[in-house]
Amino acid sequence: MSIEVSGLTKKFGDFVALDDVSVSLPTGQLTALLGPSGGGKSTLLRIIAGLDTADSGTVSIEGVDATGLPAQKRNVGFVFQHYAVFKHMTVAKNVAFGLEIRKRPKAEIAHRVEELLELVHLSQFSHRLPSQLSGGQRQRMALARALAVEPSVLLLDEPFGALDAKVRKELRDWLRRLHDEVHVTTVFVTHDQEEALEVADEIVVINEGRVEQVGSPDQLYDEPANDFVMGFLGEVTTLGGVVLRPHDIEVALQPGLAGAVRGTVTRVLRVGFEVRVTVRTGDGDPTAVSAQASPETTVVLTRTHARQLGLDAGTQVWLTPASGATTVSSMAPAGRRAAVTSGV
Amino acid sequence: MVSPPVKWGLRVLAVGYVFFLVAWPLALLVRQTFGNGLGNLVDALGDEQVTGALQLTAMIAFWAVVINLVFGVTISILLVRYEFPGKRVLSALIDLPLSVSPVVVGLALVLAYNGRNGLVGPELEARGVQVIFDSPGMIMATCFVALPLVIREVVPVLVEVGDDQEQAARSLGANAPQTFWRITLPSIKWGVVYGVVLSLARSVGEFGAVKIVSGNITGRTQTATLVVEQKYQNFQQETAYATSFLLILVSIACLLVVAFLRPKHDS
Amino acid sequence: MTSTPVLERPASPEGRRPRRVRRTTPRSTLTRGAGLGLGIAMLWFSILVLLPLSAVVAAAAEGGWGRYLSVLQNDQTWAAVTLTVSQAVLVTLVNVVVGTVIAWVLVRDRFWGKRALDVVIDVPFALPTIVAGLVLLSLYGPNSPLGLHWAFTPNAVTLALAFVTLPFIVRTVQPVLEELETDVEEAAASLGAKRSTIFRRIILPSLVPAITAGAALSFARAISEYGSLVLLSGNKPYETEVVSVRVLTFIENGNTASAAALASVMLAIALVVIVLLDVLQRRVSRRG
Ligand SMILES: Nc1ncnc2c1ncn2[C@@H]1O[C@H](COP(=O)(O)OP(=O)(O)OP(=O)(O)O)[C@@H](O)[C@H]1O
Ligand SMILES: [Mg+2]
Repeated sequence: MSIEVSGLTKKFGDFVALDDVSVSLPTGQLTALLGPSGGGKSTLLRIIAGLDTADSGTVSIEGVDATGLPAQKRNVGFVFQHYAVFKHMTVAKNVAFGLEIRKRPKAEIAHRVEELLELVHLSQFSHRLPSQLSGGQRQRMALARALAVEPSVLLLDEPFGALDAKVRKELRDWLRRLHDEVHVTTVFVTHDQEEALEVADEIVVINEGRVEQVGSPDQLYDEPANDFVMGFLGEVTTLGGVVLRPHDIEVALQPGLAGAVRGTVTRVLRVGFEVRVTVRTGDGDPTAVSAQASPETTVVLTRTHARQLGLDAGTQVWLTPASGATTVSSMAPAGRRAAVTSGV
Repeated sequence: MVSPPVKWGLRVLAVGYVFFLVAWPLALLVRQTFGNGLGNLVDALGDEQVTGALQLTAMIAFWAVVINLVFGVTISILLVRYEFPGKRVLSALIDLPLSVSPVVVGLALVLAYNGRNGLVGPELEARGVQVIFDSPGMIMATCFVALPLVIREVVPVLVEVGDDQEQAARSLGANAPQTFWRITLPSIKWGVVYGVVLSLARSVGEFGAVKIVSGNITGRTQTATLVVEQKYQNFQQETAYATSFLLILVSIACLLVVAFLRPKHDS
Repeated sequence: MTSTPVLERPASPEGRRPRRVRRTTPRSTLTRGAGLGLGIAMLWFSILVLLPLSAVVAAAAEGGWGRYLSVLQNDQTWAAVTLTVSQAVLVTLVNVVVGTVIAWVLVRDRFWGKRALDVVIDVPFALPTIVAGLVLLSLYGPNSPLGLHWAFTPNAVTLALAFVTLPFIVRTVQPVLEELETDVEEAAASLGAKRSTIFRRIILPSLVPAITAGAALSFARAISEYGSLVLLSGNKPYETEVVSVRVLTFIENGNTASAAALASVMLAIALVVIVLLDVLQRRVSRRG
């Protein structure tokens, strides 16, 4: 295990930002810390890096207990959301900083800086000041700067958060390729589930200071531990007491299958190649769970399929979960459900 | 937004007020200095009392600025980057010298440090340290009155630049002194420069507190501002004008440094 | 790498503890080096400021209330106090109006020479106070080209105080006005507000804290002024003698006890102003 965190608790005044968090991250992988804003992702990352101290709990990096170690002794590379570039230094000087602190020979530093700027495609900008770079370039520079000291782990706090959607996507692919090349244990924070699912080997879902689930993208998507994880990774709807994805529902015009829920189409909305159909299921239906459970179910179909069925407002339909659909019981504790709605 | 007559009214009021209160009197004084060509200046610079006082002023201002620089930067960093009990009280007390009369400052230092019956003065004197009527007291008086100036310039800059560059430096292995010299200081450089320049102007010009603490001993503890007073009262007004002119040059130079550096580096 | 991350969380059915716990007192975040720095800085601050000021208070307290009363009841002292306070109030009021106007002109107006005006505003701050008196004498003294012979009259006190306090309100209001976007005014105008309404409802309220902070500084400076008055006002008892001069006279006559008593009254006023300023500054500017 490259990073072992156990029993971390962190309070800000009377606010619990991390609540007894334990997690182990294996060597050489790219792990995403995923969760809603304010969930405690940055706090966890900063404690791992030594930039904050926990109230209790331990952190060990590469088998060494790092709990009491100051940031500068942890050999951790940290990339900040807003780059934290050294404004008064050139790009090359920024990248060289960690090596100069370590008093490496000049020639070695020059060589390594050149190599790293090559790696992040910034060679031709080495003599510029950070203010003369674009956001994406600055972030690549910050990455090179963190990699320069050959850190045992690389931590990135929403590295692409401040960039526009297109650059974000480019850099995300680039990070994945870079990781495949460099193989340093990497943890990055994001609140974008698509980013996590696409890039990471492992995902740790954090909400309200607690770890909700740890697993590969497939595991998380197919076997969510609870309705929070399920809801956070994609759109969900409820049907007959279970939470499931809107495209995992089969629509029939006759009551064929056992356990099918009868309902009336109230709205049909075309969005691109999809059709979103809202079905009211509650009324007089014996399978409806309870009065307060939402009597509305959202179903997503392809355009062609919707046209074949001839769906329109008022159409009577029978709904069943598709076979193999991921479902979670919606009868979670009240506190949990509140967490879902307030958290996202 | 504002109608032209109102705008003109305000403009005339602002410019007129400053002109009659500051600009015109200042210009008149400069003219009086050069009433008979360079004669006044040459005479003043040939007067040992004046040159000695200028040297003493330079020495005192230098040490006061150095001490306030170190103290000011330290306190600013502590106030902005750390939490500790009593911080708020300290932050308010720092501004106290802004509103204490120089005469009270002088009196306070005398009461604490005079060798005859001061609070701790006699003990210091017994160990051979003379504070009052000597340079240490004059440097302290000057430090006191200029105390908040560096802090008032540096604190907003420290807040503005934030601490993420410092954190980045720490994560890259830099220890506290390395972080300070390589990251913090370069990024607050201009705030520090303004603070120093303003302190310098204030230190060179200090009068009341120094007058009391120094004892105003001609040729030994008399600073440039004290010479101006004495010469004027002794009807050597030309020398007083010339010495004032030199002091004005210093303060205007300080102002111009601030005025021309600031906009360039604010953007 | 086949090992999967392990999740170790105590499985508790009801799950979440309440997120709110009782407030903990703000902890010190000082590192060892920072603590040492704070210690040395505080030592110096005590030697330079706290110890001498307590010496004043101690010396003043020796005589008890009786001394305070007898010092203040002295006619000449009382006249100095009245003169100083009334002049300080007058000058502060002038500054509130003129200082705000100058700040407005510097921020919103454009004309040739504005940059020079901006620099000249700071001259009183940078000029040695004794020189300030001399400067004012050249226009308002015996050889006044305007024929205004104000030296050694109460007018000289007003003049000197107005001179040294000029920058305070301008420099506190100016940055606030700069931050107050013209958009806000334009938005208000587009909503149909009259100019006077915009000024009263939009501009003035946002300037009030800055103006008050500047006024506090200006008042504090005015009641404690000494240097610029030495040559200009003549220090005539009952007429142009201010409190600082009175304290100095006590000192020069060896009457340290009375000097300390009067000085401690001035210190108390300074403290009040500083507390007010601290409260206001938290609203106007940023200080950690
Ligand atoms: N220095 C601090 N003082 C007080 N509260 C803080 C501090 N830092 C973080 N918090 C609180 O702790 C909680 C967790 O913050 P954290 O920055 O870890 O969230 P996050 O998951 O990174 O969110 P985001 O995705 O918005 O960055 C938040 O509610 C935040 O308000
Ligand atoms: Mg964050």
